[in-house]
Amino acid sequence: MSYLMTTLTKKREVDTIIRDTIDKVLVLRFGRASDPVCLHLDDLLRKSSREVSKFATVALVDIDSEEIQVYVNYFDISFIPSTIFFFNAHHMKMDSGTADHTKWVGAFQKKQDFIDVVEAIYRGAMKGKLIVSCPLPSERIPKYQLLYKDV
Amino acid sequence: MATLADSFLADLDELSDNEADVIEEEDVDAGNMEEDVDGEMADIENLNYDDLDSVSKLQKTQRYVDIMQKVEDALQKGSDISNLGMVLEDDPEYQLIVDCNALSVDIENEIIIIHNFIRDKYRLKFPELESLVHHPIDYARVVKKIGNEMDLTLVDLEGLLPSAIIMVVSVTASTTSGKPLPEEILDKTIDACDRALTLDAAKKKVLDFVESRMGYIAPNLSTIVGSAVAAKLMGTAGGLAALAKMPACNVQLLGAKKKNLAGFSTATSQFRVGYIEQTEIFQSTPPSLRMRACRLLASKSTLAARVDSTRGDPSGNNGRALREEIRKKIEKWQEPPPAKQPKPLPVPDSEPKKKRGGRRLRKMKERYAITDMRKLANRMQFGVPEESSLGDGLGEGYGMLGQAGSGKLRVSVGQSKLAAKVAKKFKEKQYGSSGASSGLTSSLAFTPVQGIELSNPQAHAHQLGSGTQSTYFSETGTFSKIKRT
Repeated sequence: MSYLMTTLTKKREVDTIIRDTIDKVLVLRFGRASDPVCLHLDDLLRKSSREVSKFATVALVDIDSEEIQVYVNYFDISFIPSTIFFFNAHHMKMDSGTADHTKWVGAFQKKQDFIDVVEAIYRGAMKGKLIVSCPLPSERIPKYQLLYKDV
Repeated sequence: MATLADSFLADLDELSDNEADVIEEEDVDAGNMEEDVDGEMADIENLNYDDLDSVSKLQKTQRYVDIMQKVEDALQKGSDISNLGMVLEDDPEYQLIVDCNALSVDIENEIIIIHNFIRDKYRLKFPELESLVHHPIDYARVVKKIGNEMDLTLVDLEGLLPSAIIMVVSVTASTTSGKPLPEEILDKTIDACDRALTLDAAKKKVLDFVESRMGYIAPNLSTIVGSAVAAKLMGTAGGLAALAKMPACNVQLLGAKKKNLAGFSTATSQFRVGYIEQTEIFQSTPPSLRMRACRLLASKSTLAARVDSTRGDPSGNNGRALREEIRKKIEKWQEPPPAKQPKPLPVPDSEPKKKRGGRRLRKMKERYAITDMRKLANRMQFGVPEESSLGDGLGEGYGMLGQAGSGKLRVSVGQSKLAAKVAKKFKEKQYGSSGASSGLTSSLAFTPVQGIELSNPQAHAHQLGSGTQSTYFSETGTFSKIKRT
């Protein structure tokens, strides 16, 4: 489903893309191509990647490859799909009312939601912030339970 | 009569030119003609010329006869491969073609003269015909057909004219003021018509000959527009050199017909295209692109004509290249526009917002501006503790509001424009709906405690409005003491 979007499978590729995206938000989707929610998110990403192309880059990371497990452990990715935002190699956090600010879990309901989130991140990053608040109303934010050691 | 004199003079000019160029035994004839013409010029005032021969002499000239003979021979011989080795000017065929061009122009002038003659004679019979049928040859044919007939229903004009014109002609003929012609004049008129028709046929022959030789004379031009149109263009322009000297806009209009508007018709002639209309390139372009194609064709064919007039490219390659260029351009025009790609969104905050100004914006800003009361409340006097809403420093501070020394006993609420607008809307909603409001209602509320204080808005503005005047420093007071140290 990643028709025109780059899919990354090697650690080195992920490193290069994080390092080389300058002054643009980098959207990394961690997921696998077989999951339906992931497919939904991928479709949205593909459609909007051209529209946000002036201030964001979108890439897909396949969590089934071994090299990527390092990142899976680092970012503590347990739900599929998870999206992590970077700006100039800084990890951008977003407070969307959920427990985990470091990533966005799940898909977006509409293309416009995704664009709004990316724009909020961009504005915050340009101001120098490392954490921004989510512009979406809470109905549009996917809810999930954070499990800590299966509690 | 002026036109007749001019045409005589024109004849004279041609004669003198021809003497320089062509090596024909025309001198004798020219001499004769000049004498005749002089004689005629003398009689011009009392000119009621009855003799057609005195008017049109071309058919009698030796030159005409010679050239026609040569043309007929050449036509019968068929086209032979031209010898390119020979320099063009020496080639007798080329000379013949140059002569043919000049002759075709002469024939045209001659036809016009004869047309004038016929028209003048026929005016007694049917004066309106000349304004209905413009083309000289058509006019001659119609005159010949009608003859001395008064009733046009007996005359069949089918095939000579378009049916609309036939109708108009028949209608006009029924109400014409003309009378039948006397016999001799009628004979002369018919004779003149015949003369015109033979001249026309001769011109056609000449043009056919030129057309057949076109590939040899002007290969580039004939590649682009085709040999028939090329021959016509050359004939109308009066030679290849003349055609080459014309600007392209003129070439476009060579041979354009003037449309005959019957009655109140306001239909303008389509296009303003001449012989170029008959080229196959023009015919094969879709109608919406025809104007552009016509201009393009005219300009490229002018270029080709210029190349041909200097014999720069005898093989015709230039013409083929130009034709290819024309074809490509026309194809490009017909291409659909490129598919629209969705534009990516602009970077956030990259484009500065357009700030507007002006009176309207200022008035709008005034509604939300800081009121004088608020300004007073924001400031404090030095060394004087301010009152607060909850007393003792708690709650909102009142600043200089209500303090001694501000010159006012009470500060009233200034006219808050925002409040006024809101109040007006509220009033409209509440009172406007019923329409029957008591005359004693007002928007001012009377309370027993405060009473009404009407303030002078001007004084207010003076006190605090302008930023340059400050309440901190007194305007009237000065330094109390300046110590010299």
